[in-house]
Amino acid sequence: MLNFSWPIDGSIVGVYLLATMIAGLMVRKYVQNVDDFIVAGRAMDLHLGIASLAATEFGIVTCMYAAQNGYEKGFAGATPGILMALAMFFVGATGFCIEPLRAAGVSTIPELFERRFGLGVRWASGVVIVVGGLLNMGVFLRIGGEFLVFVSGLNPDYLEIVMTVLLVGVAIYTILGGMLSVLVTDYLQFIVMSMGLVAITLLILFKVGWSSLVETVQANHGAGGFNPFANDAMGVPYVLFNAIFALATVLTWQTIVQRVLSAKDSATGRRVFTRTSFFFVCRFIIPGIWGIAALAMLGSEAAASDGSLYAMPKFLSLTVPTGLMGLLVAAMLAADMSTDSAYMLSWSSVIYNDVLAPFRRRRPWSERVGLLVNRALVGAIGIFLLLYGLWYPLKGDLWTYITVTASIYLSSMSVLLIACCYWTKANNWGAIAAIACGAVVPIAYLILEQVPATHEFARRIGPYWSGLAAYALTGAAMVVGSLLKAAFATDPSPPKGQT
Amino acid sequence: MSHPFWLLLSIACLVWYSTITIYVAVKGASDIVAMLKTLSPPEDADRAPTLAGRG
Repeated sequence: MLNFSWPIDGSIVGVYLLATMIAGLMVRKYVQNVDDFIVAGRAMDLHLGIASLAATEFGIVTCMYAAQNGYEKGFAGATPGILMALAMFFVGATGFCIEPLRAAGVSTIPELFERRFGLGVRWASGVVIVVGGLLNMGVFLRIGGEFLVFVSGLNPDYLEIVMTVLLVGVAIYTILGGMLSVLVTDYLQFIVMSMGLVAITLLILFKVGWSSLVETVQANHGAGGFNPFANDAMGVPYVLFNAIFALATVLTWQTIVQRVLSAKDSATGRRVFTRTSFFFVCRFIIPGIWGIAALAMLGSEAAASDGSLYAMPKFLSLTVPTGLMGLLVAAMLAADMSTDSAYMLSWSSVIYNDVLAPFRRRRPWSERVGLLVNRALVGAIGIFLLLYGLWYPLKGDLWTYITVTASIYLSSMSVLLIACCYWTKANNWGAIAAIACGAVVPIAYLILEQVPATHEFARRIGPYWSGLAAYALTGAAMVVGSLLKAAFATDPSPPKGQT
Repeated sequence: MSHPFWLLLSIACLVWYSTITIYVAVKGASDIVAMLKTLSPPEDADRAPTLAGRG
């Protein structure tokens, strides 16, 4: 029997939604120009930054793939979270790349690239960021809707309506208030989300018990459930790929970097990174425990009927009592809304700032037109999300889909950023070669995997070796391309602004 | 104690969330007030001096 009660749990969710909408709409009057809309006037301080980053980087989709990792891989499934935390702390403590990035006063990473590599590289970077980012985000809405339908026991026929209502709510305050609304609602959402996550995890530990979780992992996964190197599905390539993926994400993922760029100074941006780093462990451990608990209580048969992705929401719908269920749904709504709003804003800001940059240059837009275009872009991304979510049927492992689509731009952008900041010989030939290599390898892998004739070949390579190849080839392309230009280019004059 | 690494890490996550949430809830509210003050519309007398410090 499902435990969601409309009068009790529905009221808790309703109060949360009302408070979020009011807060999001109230700050819209402070948006005076494009800078306020995209980076909140660069007035964000440390604690708001921590709340916003933590809320943005934990959505229902995060909860689902981390729980799926826990269900399928045991505690070892939290390895990507530990690697991400280490990468975050390293970058925050050293200021690696983010220090010069924030000091440059840019709104997006491609804007920095233009100063070093020229307008063409800025535009190409914007395009791959948007393609990779939107494909990555495309599954968020459907996964969020499916979680809510599963947990609350709604008729699955209402999935599209739930997705649409969720999206419209988020889009309204994001379109009107931009980054300011995102920051203020993120703050509220972080509090609600944290309360829900802690309460549900304590409930699960109380009901299932730590010993039972450990025994379940031991029985289903053996030593590989505790040690990624002893897990047949993980091993060295998984850990190595996720380590590089984590560093690239921390350096160039637009929603993370946007917090650095919105910070009032470099030191604040770095502190947001170091102090939020441990959150990335929590982000995998807490839903991972939920996934392991689902395995303990429902058994491996749960994956056979609905797929391993849905074992956790099915378990929660049967375990969480009325009252706490309202807090769970509000917490997950908070997690999803904060992620969706920040992601919509991030990709729209890259489209406005970088993909449309050449067109704005010929005839500069007024602040009023700029704001209008930004708002229209956020709305357009919302429509894309709705259509993609309705159309795209997710097959296989959600975390692998997320990493492969993100790698379309992470490999090239991280190589470009490091070269831009620290390698004086880097130039636009190397940058273009790196962008092409970084996009071609993951896309080629996705195609090889889909074509029946090459499916077995792709399976033998696996997503982790192909991902590692993308980073290695992208780095090599940057070096070779830059050295070739130095050797053969006839015009020695650098692009405007090159140092 | 079975698998102390994962047990300690799980406890640390719950402690981190519990403490950070309270800390950020208090401090973050004053950050929002300060941010909105900095971004107040032009008719607000505070706007002119704070704009100089933006960026």
